[in-house]
Amino acid sequence: MAVNLLYHQSTFRLEDEMSLIEIAKKDPRQFAPLYKKYHEAIFRYVYKRVDDEEAAYDITSCVFVKALASLAKYEFRGVPFSSWLFRIAKSELYQSFRDKKAQRTVSLDSVTIVQFIDELNEDFSEEQRITLLNSLKLLKDNQLQLIEMRFFEKRSFKEIGEIVGLTENNAKVKTFRALVKLKEIFNRTKA
Amino acid sequence: MIKILVDRAIPTSAKIKNRQDFDFVLKQHNQSKRSSGLQWYFGVVGLASFVLAVMSILF
Repeated sequence: MAVNLLYHQSTFRLEDEMSLIEIAKKDPRQFAPLYKKYHEAIFRYVYKRVDDEEAAYDITSCVFVKALASLAKYEFRGVPFSSWLFRIAKSELYQSFRDKKAQRTVSLDSVTIVQFIDELNEDFSEEQRITLLNSLKLLKDNQLQLIEMRFFEKRSFKEIGEIVGLTENNAKVKTFRALVKLKEIFNRTKA
Repeated sequence: MIKILVDRAIPTSAKIKNRQDFDFVLKQHNQSKRSSGLQWYFGVVGLASFVLAVMSILF
């Protein structure tokens, strides 16, 4: 699995980032380097979950406005700054779904679908592809989030846990349960 | 209802970078800071006015 360099940073880089955060806490204008660093990652996270590109840009802006407003409360307690931003992005996304400003979307590519059908121990066919897409719609949203992050975005369990507020082990267990549930729905839908 | 999009076009890094607007974020942040300060101010002033009005009616 590819390593997410934005997430897995060296101690030196983390210390560098912490000093940027401390400076930005005193002067919001100094938040610019952090905004530039994480804007694309946050946009891509949001874009995959909404059906409209402009809405994704708007939500991304809201994420950084919220982050600036809460920056004083941010302290490094094992959760990297990027995960803290993803948590805000998740909460902003669900607010926009509640406000009906955006529609909950799952973005997938054909290669991921083939790999995922293999993960379910099934052979790929057009019928299986349609069954999978229909099964995903029937999954509870918290389970869908875990499947999305682990199998479609290839995030580590540690990172998933930090975004959804679980321990690494709990994230692993819950993702496995979500996969079992999806398989159950998949087999039922197929029959 | 969940919508599933397969093989949708992904904006390029250059396009996303082009849409970065930190000035807008900073402006929004300053505006919300100012309005929350005003809310606090008018909340206190409003409450004090209400108490004074009630006291002037009663006494």
